[in-house]
Amino acid sequence: MNKPLILVVEDDTPVRNLITTTLKAHKYRFLTAANGELAILEASSHNPEIILLDLGLPDMDGVEVIHKVRSWSNMPIIVISARSEDTDKIDALDAGADDYLTKPFSVEELLARLRVTQRRLSALQIGSMNTDAVFTNGKLKVDYAAGCAFLDNQELHLTPSEYKLLCLLCKNVGKVLTHTFITRQIWGRSWENDVASLRVFMATLRKKLEKEPGSPQYIQTHIGIGYRMMRVES
Amino acid sequence: MRRCTDRADLYAHSSQNRMGYRTHEHILVCLSSAPSNEKIIRTAVRMASAFRCGLTALFVETKEFQRISQTDKERLQNNIHLAQQLGASFETIYGDDIAYQIAEFSRLSGVTKIVLGQSGISHRMPFRKPYLTDRLIKLIPELDIHIIPDNGTNDRFAAKHREIIRLPTLSILDLLKIALLLVLATVIGFLFYHLGFTEANIITLYILGVMLVSISTKSSVCSFIASLASVLTFNLFFTEPRFSLHAYDSGYPVTFFVMFLASLLTGSLASKLKSHAKRSAQVAWRTKLLLETNQNLQKARTQEEIISVTAKQLLKIFQRDIIAYRIQEEKPVMPEIFLANSTASPERYISEKEREVVQWVITNNERAGAGTENLSDSCCTYLSIRTGKQIYGVVGIASSDKPLDSFETSILLSVLGESALALENQKNLEEKEAAAVLAKNEQLRADLLRSISHDLRTPLTSISGNASNLLSNGDLFDAQTKKQMYTDIYDDAMWLINLVENLLSVSRLEKGRMNLHISTELIDEVVAEALRHINRKSSEYRLHVQNSEEYLLAQIDAKLIVQVIINIVDNAIKYTPAGSEIDIKWKQKGNYIYISIADNGPGISNQAKPHIFDMFYSASNQIADSRRSMGLGLALCKSIVNAHGGEIMVADNLPHGSIFTFSIPTREVELHE
Repeated sequence: MNKPLILVVEDDTPVRNLITTTLKAHKYRFLTAANGELAILEASSHNPEIILLDLGLPDMDGVEVIHKVRSWSNMPIIVISARSEDTDKIDALDAGADDYLTKPFSVEELLARLRVTQRRLSALQIGSMNTDAVFTNGKLKVDYAAGCAFLDNQELHLTPSEYKLLCLLCKNVGKVLTHTFITRQIWGRSWENDVASLRVFMATLRKKLEKEPGSPQYIQTHIGIGYRMMRVES
Repeated sequence: MRRCTDRADLYAHSSQNRMGYRTHEHILVCLSSAPSNEKIIRTAVRMASAFRCGLTALFVETKEFQRISQTDKERLQNNIHLAQQLGASFETIYGDDIAYQIAEFSRLSGVTKIVLGQSGISHRMPFRKPYLTDRLIKLIPELDIHIIPDNGTNDRFAAKHREIIRLPTLSILDLLKIALLLVLATVIGFLFYHLGFTEANIITLYILGVMLVSISTKSSVCSFIASLASVLTFNLFFTEPRFSLHAYDSGYPVTFFVMFLASLLTGSLASKLKSHAKRSAQVAWRTKLLLETNQNLQKARTQEEIISVTAKQLLKIFQRDIIAYRIQEEKPVMPEIFLANSTASPERYISEKEREVVQWVITNNERAGAGTENLSDSCCTYLSIRTGKQIYGVVGIASSDKPLDSFETSILLSVLGESALALENQKNLEEKEAAAVLAKNEQLRADLLRSISHDLRTPLTSISGNASNLLSNGDLFDAQTKKQMYTDIYDDAMWLINLVENLLSVSRLEKGRMNLHISTELIDEVVAEALRHINRKSSEYRLHVQNSEEYLLAQIDAKLIVQVIINIVDNAIKYTPAGSEIDIKWKQKGNYIYISIADNGPGISNQAKPHIFDMFYSASNQIADSRRSMGLGLALCKSIVNAHGGEIMVADNLPHGSIFTFSIPTREVELHE
């Protein structure tokens, strides 16, 4: 697979070095920016394919950078945040970020996130060609037109809510969706009770979808943040 | 040696006492209904502020007080009010001997200076009783007495007094009573006469009649009239010549005179006795009420309770509707209303206007509402519960046709005073507790810092040492050694990361419950998340997670509960030999979900069990690398679980090992399909 160009936005030199060293070791091409202004400049001039964005920047809020970038581009953005910026993370996801990494993160984790995003990228490129009626992901197949889903060519018996949930996840495959985003999309509001219902629907949906609930293959849970449909290689 | 310290103690104590006597000035000002009293009060207040000491305003209620005019009563009320407004605490005592009462009060309440007024010496008449001040000096020679001269204004005051003496009037009922008793005495007198008893018996009979008159009637004139009438009737019916007012015997005038005097004296004594009995009954009732109030107040623990006890007590005493406000940040909070008649509607007491009056009372620290000079168009009289300048609450008493008399007012003020004292105590206690908690937190923080700085050093030494070795002579090590060094660096860094996570949780908990981000989470997800973060040695252990059919939702701060599970599982891994089994299960019981984590390791000794949740306790003597246990993990778990309203406990697993169980609140959910 062709290695994408990655823009690393991080003000802390050791962490930036860690990321760039890792990228270099895995033959990724990369650019760096130490603050928000440079980040926007680099993003607009070099058009990178993925942005790794630290939320705590010296000159501006990371969420602002996301808003600016999203105004012209749909490029995947992975935010990096310290644990104390938990709510910032959700804000960033709601603002349009695709994924997140929490400091301290391991190198493996970083690489895994990059792989996920890459798959999403290639899916996007294919997807732009066929925004079609059938979605396939590994053994999962969703026929939007017919309004039914199949796993291993067996039809899944889903309740209306479960089906809606599945469609939403599939349409945003590879992207972390926050609880608020999901509940707004499905019920048009985000009350406390809806978030609770979401948990249950997600659990029942997952039970029907996953062979091994202990190590989920399709739907990933991000405690306190949201859910994500993983891109599965067929 | 011991005796020496004892003596030093004693010396310190006594010298302190002496000092206390000198430094703790307390001024007593005597109130009266005199117009000049205001000046005396102001002087006393100035003195109190100059000496920076307490001020008590004292009013001695004598039996004459019942008879003073309405304007005088009002003036007295104003004076009492003025004294209170200027920061004096007010007391009333009862007794006829003013000097004696003042002396007793001063002695009991540690007064050091007395301020009172006295009219000019020129007014002194030869037969007047000795001055109050002379008597006071005699009774309490150790106190300073400051005399403020009264002049000018007093003439008017004296004139009023003379007017009062003419005031007593006779009611028809009293006259009828006199007549009846006289007729009765005369009828029995005739009986005695016919039986041949001597005149002395009949005279005694009349005196008895006069005594009964003075007991049963209100006015003091009655006994005078009765005495006179009995002498006349005795003369009319029983002296020779009978049925005429003449008397032959030359001894009779003396007899009449003595009889008159005797009956008059008996009569006035009896009426005095009666008023004494009445007043002592009142005093006893008041004492009982105050005692009861005091007892109830002592039982009350919180500010709300104290104010509600006060209001209930006032309701019991006055049988009027009582409205009690607490004060928060200078504003009245929603009042508690106690209705004398439970069917009545409380609506009129909570209108916006009434609230404004209450706010006025709070701002001005002065009473207001019906029956006062301020905002008198409201339907209650509002008084503040206060000590000095500090207001703790406002009590409203519904106005009725009959205003509170001075006895009732004094009870009201006493109850409010008691309440204010209770509130002050409670507030002090609260502050003390808060300070103690603060001190404890400070202590915890200090312990934490000490423990951390010690525990940080070890892994940091290992990390920096290994890294610098690799930097400077990396080439000298073989691949095996290098790998070992990298592993050490990684392990120590991971340990530090875990420590930092725990510390972050501690800091969040310290900020209190408000800082929990409560959300609804599925237990399966929470456990799965926790297991992704546990020690990487876990692959050497056999971990079983319950695979449940039903979905249990918990109301928790997910991050913190994940931390709890991580800490317990990490502990299990740390304290059990490789290959042990670790079981994670959960079930719902009532409103809680109980999550238990069991291992089949060596278990925890019974001595250690009570302490494992204490901060900085660690069973480290059992394991080799004791530096890795800071004794923070389980203490943190306990704090987190408690913050969620649950509990954490440890039990023995069979045949060996231990089970940690903690509870977290559950949540039922309605599903929207």
